[in-house]
Amino acid sequence: MTSPTAIRSASANGASNVWEPFRPDVDGAWDERRVRHLVRRAAFGAGPELIETLVEMTPDDAIERLLTGTPDEATRQSESDALARTILASGDPKRLGAWWTYELITTTHPLRERMTLFWHGHFATGGDKVTDAEALYRQNRLLRDEALGNFRTMTHAIAKDPAMLVYLDSVTNRKAHPNENFARELMELFCLGEGNYSEADVQQLARCFTGWEIRQGKFRFNRYQHDDGEKSIFGRRSTFPDAEAVDWVLAHPAAPRFVASKLIRLFVTDAMPTDDELEPIAELLVEHDWNLLPAVRTILRSRRLLGDETIGTKVRSPVDLIIGLLRSFDGTANASRLADDLRRMGMGLFFPPNVKGWDGGRTWINAATLLERANGIGRLLQDDATRFDRRPVGEHLMARFGDDDDSLGKLAEVLLAVRPNDATLARLAAVGEGRSGAARAVARMHALAASPLAQLG
Amino acid sequence: MQLSGGNDGLNTVVPHKHEAYRAARPTLRIDSSDVLAIDAELGLHPACRPLADALEAGQLGIVQGVGYDQPNRSHFESMDIWHSCRRKEDRGQEGWLGRAFDLNGGAAARDPVGIFLGESKLPASLVARSTPVPSIDSPERFRLQGQDAEALTTALSGMSSPADSTAPTGEAAALAEFLERSTGAALEASRRIEAALASGKAVEGYPATRLAEKLSTVGRLIEAGLSTRVFYVELDGFDTHSQQADAHRGLLEQWSGALGAFLKDLADIGRLDDTVVVSFSEFGRRVAENASEGTDHGAAAPLFLAGGRVAGGLHGAHPSLTDLDDGDLKFHTDFRSVYATLLEQWLGWDASPALGGRFESLPLLRS
Repeated sequence: MTSPTAIRSASANGASNVWEPFRPDVDGAWDERRVRHLVRRAAFGAGPELIETLVEMTPDDAIERLLTGTPDEATRQSESDALARTILASGDPKRLGAWWTYELITTTHPLRERMTLFWHGHFATGGDKVTDAEALYRQNRLLRDEALGNFRTMTHAIAKDPAMLVYLDSVTNRKAHPNENFARELMELFCLGEGNYSEADVQQLARCFTGWEIRQGKFRFNRYQHDDGEKSIFGRRSTFPDAEAVDWVLAHPAAPRFVASKLIRLFVTDAMPTDDELEPIAELLVEHDWNLLPAVRTILRSRRLLGDETIGTKVRSPVDLIIGLLRSFDGTANASRLADDLRRMGMGLFFPPNVKGWDGGRTWINAATLLERANGIGRLLQDDATRFDRRPVGEHLMARFGDDDDSLGKLAEVLLAVRPNDATLARLAAVGEGRSGAARAVARMHALAASPLAQLG
Repeated sequence: MQLSGGNDGLNTVVPHKHEAYRAARPTLRIDSSDVLAIDAELGLHPACRPLADALEAGQLGIVQGVGYDQPNRSHFESMDIWHSCRRKEDRGQEGWLGRAFDLNGGAAARDPVGIFLGESKLPASLVARSTPVPSIDSPERFRLQGQDAEALTTALSGMSSPADSTAPTGEAAALAEFLERSTGAALEASRRIEAALASGKAVEGYPATRLAEKLSTVGRLIEAGLSTRVFYVELDGFDTHSQQADAHRGLLEQWSGALGAFLKDLADIGRLDDTVVVSFSEFGRRVAENASEGTDHGAAAPLFLAGGRVAGGLHGAHPSLTDLDDGDLKFHTDFRSVYATLLEQWLGWDASPALGGRFESLPLLRS
């Protein structure tokens, strides 16, 4: 069905802009269901109080609220820092995931945290190779500081980041034998995408990074090992002094489209964006000199994101699923056990599968990860350390939803993007039969959260 | 067996006497006195003793110079080419094995026709349109746990399309169907594999590595009579850009140790003649070592076949060490010819539709 209004607004500009803002009443109601959809896509999930606040705001104000977050709380910050210090003192990168999981559960700026996780997948660096926990932690702070900041600034910082250079075997990089690894990944995975450069470009760009070294955990420029001769990259001849080569890669027309594509896939769709979707976001990145906020704001405000047809069209990542569940109930949990379960579900924090990061979409799903999701949710809900709004899980569920026939349907509205039909709800409600109130409520929630539709976001 | 990261073929099947090899590898070359001789010119890396034994027994075939035209030196792109048999421009979701599964009744098979044993995501070669291919991290973890396991299995297995007036259609409905089908297949595979492994017992003789553990599980699944045609495992870490010597030795030890033990296991249960083990990597490495005592991404490399019915010994010549393509070995055998051989002569399936073209079969197997 096409509404006359939609036709008019599309023809007014000559062509329809896919990123036109969502207009309540024209495009659909600004209600709890839509706000939950926005929060699932932008901020994992939110408790009842925040959902209510956002419903009462205008869409623009609600989105500004998510883009700004709320100021950190001193006690939360000091607890987080103390946890980080303990883990860094152990020197074990495997334990860092527990700290980040704690951040994800407790942060007062979940959108920034979601972006930080996105950049971790983009500039993937793994603790299997970078055994220095401190270096990984510092890189994580770098990504968080620029998460909604400037992509150019972030790329320059990553090019000199000790954890990244260790990960890409570029601790030493001598003039006589340039290491191609960082140069290749800078173009293939960080800025341009495969097919937008030649092998000769890789070899020439690699020369620009000779003499870039890590000494005692810090970046150092070794001018004796730097090749300061002329290079030819994408047809331009220059010596490309300092980090000029990074800017030259970012000046390639494929760069803004590449980053736009990843941002759209983060928030909107698992499919490859169309040219109509790519161009306006790429233009915003160029127009604002790689500042990310205008592009992210445009995506979040759009009818493309907030419209009914987008709800439930992404496969939720393990972090989206688990952290979303906890945040929807103002929950807390044992971060260390949770980090282990996220890894089993295929999303080990600080342990991306390789330099390409996580592919996302349907690749999250296979027989093993589905069983791990179901088992991990069971362990989380039955863990004594897990609290929903400071109360034991079963107690909270009973107080909020009761245990009548409709309780699972009400829970589904909070937890799922797509409501299961009555037959499915009845089948799920049969789990935990024969047990008493709170224990039964937990078993039913386990079934609902592990069900196929719960994996959609 | 997928050797991920780009195995250094030159230091696996070593042209130890060749001057160009010795000159290109000042720190990484392996001397004639150390190699395990294949013939007068070539030898296996000293860490490959179990492979040398298999070669001796006529159970190892080495296909030399395998690759493809216009090699891509990106790990992901090159692995995608090996997985899909398509270049980027005309690539769908499915892999060559996934397409073959779909075309040969995989969706209706009682046991999964392909199983991936690994903790990472499903390799693209196994991705099918309608055939479910489970990934199994470890068999103990591959089942629902806790006191609700049985009730959960029932509750999660059913199919339903969202039948609410506000429910979206199109993309979300397709995704919901995918998730319901995947969940049902996961629970069914979990049940079958649990039943298969319940009857088997632990087997001695495997080294204490993850890869060996996986192959031991494959051995038990074969012994239990699962009708699965393809088991897929991966050993990652071959991207040896720096300090290659020790890392590569360790990887080859893991690979050949696990493979040797698996062949012995198969012989003990009388299934060696029913099994062929294929080991490949997305590319070889550059002939000249780099400044970090490592090697960068290359092109052509050897591929390995093991089992009771492989044609043992070397197949094809070693690629020239002096006539190079941008510093890399040139291929002479298209990897899709190896695939065609396996599809037609081993699996008994039509190769062309799976590979997207006709490729000549090679005399790599004995009837």
